[in-house]
Amino acid sequence: MAEVTLRAITKSFGDVKIIKGVDLQIADGEFCVFVGPSGCGKSTLLRMIAGLEDITSGSLAIGGKEMADVEPSDRGVAMVFQSYALYPHMTVKDNISFGLRMTGHKPAEIEPKLRRAAEMLQLTHLLDRKPSQLSGGQRQRVAIGRAIVREPQVFLFDEPLSNLDAALRVQMRTEIGKLHHDLGATMIYVTHDQVEAMTMADKIVVLNGGVIEQVGSPLELYHRPRNLFVAGFIGSPKMNVIPGTASPAGEGRIEVTLKDGAKVTLDGGGATVSSGQSVTLGIRPEHLTPGRVGLKATVRLAEYLGSETMFYAALADGSEIAVKADGLAKAAIGSSLDIGLNPAACHLFDANGMAIIHGDLTR
Amino acid sequence: MFPRPIQKSAPWLQASYKVLLPIALIVWLLPLIGIAVTSIRPSSDLAAGNYFGWPTRFAGVENYTAVFQNSNIGWYILNSFKVTIPTVIGAVGLSCLTGFALAVYKFRLNLVVFFMFVAGNFVPFQILAIPVRNLTVQLGLYDTITGLVLFHVAFQTGFCTLFMRNFIKALPFALIESARVEGVSEWKIFRHIVLPLMRPAIAALAVLIFTFVWNDYFWATIMAQSADVRPVTAGMNELKGQWKVAWELITAASIVAALPPVAMFFLMQKHFIAGLTLGATKG
Repeated sequence: MAEVTLRAITKSFGDVKIIKGVDLQIADGEFCVFVGPSGCGKSTLLRMIAGLEDITSGSLAIGGKEMADVEPSDRGVAMVFQSYALYPHMTVKDNISFGLRMTGHKPAEIEPKLRRAAEMLQLTHLLDRKPSQLSGGQRQRVAIGRAIVREPQVFLFDEPLSNLDAALRVQMRTEIGKLHHDLGATMIYVTHDQVEAMTMADKIVVLNGGVIEQVGSPLELYHRPRNLFVAGFIGSPKMNVIPGTASPAGEGRIEVTLKDGAKVTLDGGGATVSSGQSVTLGIRPEHLTPGRVGLKATVRLAEYLGSETMFYAALADGSEIAVKADGLAKAAIGSSLDIGLNPAACHLFDANGMAIIHGDLTR
Repeated sequence: MFPRPIQKSAPWLQASYKVLLPIALIVWLLPLIGIAVTSIRPSSDLAAGNYFGWPTRFAGVENYTAVFQNSNIGWYILNSFKVTIPTVIGAVGLSCLTGFALAVYKFRLNLVVFFMFVAGNFVPFQILAIPVRNLTVQLGLYDTITGLVLFHVAFQTGFCTLFMRNFIKALPFALIESARVEGVSEWKIFRHIVLPLMRPAIAALAVLIFTFVWNDYFWATIMAQSADVRPVTAGMNELKGQWKVAWELITAASIVAALPPVAMFFLMQKHFIAGLTLGATKG
């Protein structure tokens, strides 16, 4: 068991800087998820922790020990690849035990570990099959089994579920969560899927363009996004962002005038704005209520999902707004829609995209 | 579906296909058929000018027996094996190693080294004949099996490296990385992961190099002189006879000499089967 510490880590491929200085502390036994859009450097960062990529500058420590010059195999990490990377010419049994066999472990020592991993992952009846005879989910479990038998201090997962179909993904998600609970090891998990991040993580690290945008628990990121990027990335469907201007309205309150002329008064919560400052108002679709007085919009599209209904509407100035209503709500396309908005759930961002007011409903 | 099955095209196309295909086949095979038929002709046919007609009688048995009785062809075939088998093992073995190094490791001169291997293939070996002969004489390797093997290995490894490097490059790199994270040494990665997956490439290359080297006439005549060393391609000359060319014997000997590469092909065929990496990665 070990904590992972990254200090001012950078990575360049030639002249291209991929990771631009990352500081991060991952506690022992924590489930940490790196999330971000494609090309944000999350996989590179994981591979640097694994030792598959050199660290250009900065320091990496696992369990308090500096790792820059340590071989991947001596770092006490095990990695599960997106592509599973099973050895196609070996049976499941040989795949799982390969690493141990090749590093001088005795068969008597390997056998119980193999049995334990196979039982944990329900692979016992598949041990003599080749990878080509397995389904996607089974292959994924073999890849995880290969990591388990090494009893690593840190598990690294590189988008392990992205090749599975939706139903299997949900199932494997809970299995990995259970595994984390059973093993108690530190796990670092890379994904671009924010649902995976929200459901599995103790700690989410949102990466964008090689820098950390925000680190926090899933709900912290949802309720108190530090900037527009995190606000837009966490939460599905995406947070609505409406440009406008803000002015002080006395008694610590802030009045926001949206582009279409509508006015919203927010509790400043100690934050101040200068008169006429341009801002962006952020509000999640689930915090909007159709049929109440507030914003006026025209319905462009309605999606009836049964459990809920999504309305995609346009404000008078043309900006798009998504509204999540209960499953019984109905509105014809082209009809006008009154949208009530809860001022307490409104986020306010300055011109640089940094949050001024968090619409944190848990306050 | 591509290519479109011929059964689905217009009737006139189908008809012309059925007529043209056998014609093309026969034209293609004509030289081979000619040699096969000549090898069972009695020598009187050839003396009478019956080159392409029906043989007057079947003389296969006496021709083929004569080949073995009138010449050292058995010995030459053995020489050919002595040259070809070590060359195949040497060239394919070496290129597995060079291919692995060039495909897996990132080092500064990687591409330069790779291009040197490839560029070597573009040098016509006729211009190398005299320097190579001089070199072998100086090294004391002239007119020895070892000399022939060494030079064949040297000349074939370039092409083999190109082939192997590209094959290994196409394997999922995550397999190697995954083994590295597991602490498996580089040699064991090569031996236990890459080598088993290279089986189709090794089989294909072995057949190819076997055929190249077995059929080589150029180096066989330049680097070998004595009957002890001469491979079958050069040794067949002996059947030419002093006064006349005994075509029926030469063609029979050619057929005999052509059998080992054909046998090699059928032996290795089952290893070509693709899809060995199936199931390695996503499904």
